Amino acid sequence: MIDAVFAPVVAFFKPLGLNYAFLLDAMDRQAFWRGMGVTLELCLLVIPCSLAAGVLIAAALTSGRTWLALPTRAFVEVTRNTPTLVQLYCAFLVLNMLITQQLHQYGANPLTPLMWVVIVVSLHKGVFHAEALRAGIEAVPRVTLEAARSLGFSRRQLLWRVELPLAVRFALPSLINNLVDLVKMTAVASAIAVGDVTYESIMIWTQRDNVLELLLLILLYFGLLTWFVSVVGRWLETRLRMPGYGQ
Amino acid sequence: MANDLTLPHGAGGVDISLWRKPWAASAILAVCVITFWVTTGTTPAAVAYLWQWLPALLQGLWVNIQISVLAMALGTFVGLAIGALSLSPVAAWRVSTRWYVNLFRNAPVLVLIYFTTYAFPFEVRVLSWTFAFPDWLKVVLGLALPTSANVAEIFRGAIQSIPSAQWEAAQSLAFKRREIFRLIVLPQCVRRMLPPWMNLYASITMSTALASLVGVHDLVDTAQIASNTVSRTDFTILVYFTLLALFFAYCYPIARATRALERRHDRH
Amino acid sequence: MTATERFLYPVPQVGAGAAVTHGVADRSPATPLVQLRDVHLAFGANEVLKGIDLEVGRGQAVSIIGPSGSGKSTILRTLTGLLRPQRGEIVVGGTRVDTLKTEAELIALRTRVGFVFQQYNLFPHLTVLENLVIAPVRVLGRSRADAEREALTLLDRVRLSNKAQAYPGELSGGQQQRVAIARALAMKPELILFDEVTSALDPETVGDVLTVIRDLVGDGMTCVLVTHEMRFAEEVSDRVYFTEAGHIVEQGPPTAIFQHPASERTRAFLQRTLGQGVRAAASAPDPFATAKRERLWVSY
Repeated sequence: MIDAVFAPVVAFFKPLGLNYAFLLDAMDRQAFWRGMGVTLELCLLVIPCSLAAGVLIAAALTSGRTWLALPTRAFVEVTRNTPTLVQLYCAFLVLNMLITQQLHQYGANPLTPLMWVVIVVSLHKGVFHAEALRAGIEAVPRVTLEAARSLGFSRRQLLWRVELPLAVRFALPSLINNLVDLVKMTAVASAIAVGDVTYESIMIWTQRDNVLELLLLILLYFGLLTWFVSVVGRWLETRLRMPGYGQ
Repeated sequence: MANDLTLPHGAGGVDISLWRKPWAASAILAVCVITFWVTTGTTPAAVAYLWQWLPALLQGLWVNIQISVLAMALGTFVGLAIGALSLSPVAAWRVSTRWYVNLFRNAPVLVLIYFTTYAFPFEVRVLSWTFAFPDWLKVVLGLALPTSANVAEIFRGAIQSIPSAQWEAAQSLAFKRREIFRLIVLPQCVRRMLPPWMNLYASITMSTALASLVGVHDLVDTAQIASNTVSRTDFTILVYFTLLALFFAYCYPIARATRALERRHDRH
Repeated sequence: MTATERFLYPVPQVGAGAAVTHGVADRSPATPLVQLRDVHLAFGANEVLKGIDLEVGRGQAVSIIGPSGSGKSTILRTLTGLLRPQRGEIVVGGTRVDTLKTEAELIALRTRVGFVFQQYNLFPHLTVLENLVIAPVRVLGRSRADAEREALTLLDRVRLSNKAQAYPGELSGGQQQRVAIARALAMKPELILFDEVTSALDPETVGDVLTVIRDLVGDGMTCVLVTHEMRFAEEVSDRVYFTEAGHIVEQGPPTAIFQHPASERTRAFLQRTLGQGVRAAASAPDPFATAKRERLWVSY
């Protein structure tokens, strides 16, 4: 029955020179479908994790405590100026190996490659989120904060009710841009054999030599995911807009 | 200052005086340690291997740098053309360039690299000669695609950020459209485009690491070969962190220069 | 009746031509509400206040005038603990402000003193009504229903009831300032500080804001105004202080300061700002003010 759905699709593309025959093979089809699911899972995990990391890093950087701010600053500079792939290798090939060796007497290493991808990519993008948040915080007019203080708000109330709501609204476009980048970055998971859509496609095309066809599908899929993120982003921007402030 | 507003914004920024101290200090420390090892002959085995592999690693880094420079040059050239077209009064150009930009900005760089690597043939036959189409050239093309899309966006953004008042002022001084572009708009645009363009270069350089996944013998690939050849845990750790350090040594100065440029531009 | 309550539920005055009267019963010149004694404040090496002595009696309206950079806004900010002096004594309503340490003490003070700034007063992400309600509910712990009811009354009094659901970004500068004054009043303060609240407004809307302040003063609210509106200061103040370069150069009733200034520096400043002979200001009463006053009675 599934063949009935895909056969016309394959037949349609054949004269165009595109070989989608892998869709008719159950195993390949399922592998690709699984890959799509893993990519989606990665996106759903890294988006909240990176945002949380961004808030924590921004808080550490602006905390005013040097013992916290300085190492965080060093971490931020290293993460921003080295490739994600290399960071992934360092984390997975080096740290993971060390952890496995240490935990050898206690049992298996609970950290899967997928988790490492989530950790590394979240931290990488968290740094960019933190920069965006910091710019947002600095864009809040000082006088508005003074006005809130004069009304008797405590420091925590000021942060929660005035500073953060305004900072997030100012930082939102940058944050959404970062999230779109994040979705694209999940493709790097294929480098450490995490079965995302890129990896599964590589497995299929090494057998069938239909690289172009699979790449088109992958591009379509990522395009769909990034489009979805931008739509949600635009909806958020509309909901959180402050009328009269050019938003 | 006697002020009790929350969130002091001081510690986030890196002072010039501050960064000079840790890097200088660690550099001096490294030199001392290395001198000690060399003079006493107690160099740890991993470091000795690293020293042996260093020329190969640096050659790999050179490959990365070459790829990044070529991709950037090609991408900038094409991107400026596309950026100019995207502002054209002809709707067809505007729409098609919009599609181009959206396509190559929303595609993962890795996918684009795979695309150019596999889509182009092994070798190119022109008349009776055969040219090998090297892998690194395919990676250059693969990276040039998103570069051109991003440069087009940067160019468009810079042009549109020039206030229309400047156009009007120039027109009222009886300048021709081409002269306005050449004498007033473009010089300002170049200044505005420089920081994001430098950022783009830094990000392209980091993306060149992906070349290792399609078989180019770059720094990452060399590091992997080294680690597999020597096959010692401590060496593997050392070589991978050296990878980080080498990329950092190349990209960090670029980032700092960009930030200094942005700061100088802000004051205008 | 507190000054805020009188502002909210005004009793019409008899006699259209009568001058604006202050609630005489409220004035107790014996114990001033605000007292600054020899206050010195410096930002790093930059000395801004070099020994300020100032007094504001309960129910009085005091104006501070002077050139930019003379420290006027700094004086206001020390009154609520936003800035701390290096030397000197500040007493507001019986509390020693310069020695307050804990956040709770500062908050307790700030619920009694209202502050209206020159710009960016309001919270742009909240509607006008929410702006008025947020502090009474979150800081004073009032119930939302009560706070909203009072907020709507306050909006009515500053003639902006139809803007309750608007966002600050949709209002003009003058409207925003009126909302800011209403928001300060929502906390039912004993004292309100105005920091050059009309300096950033265009001339048409300045009048609306000054009307609101005039009404407040008329109802007996203790006010300290830092302002460049000399004629308005002359009209509503009980006492005027002229500051220059961190010192109080001259102080006294408005007639003395504006018409017979004793100090040469005061005279020079007034000449610069008013642009005409100081004498001339006395003989030509501001037609704008008289017309507004008459309009006031009609609006009840």
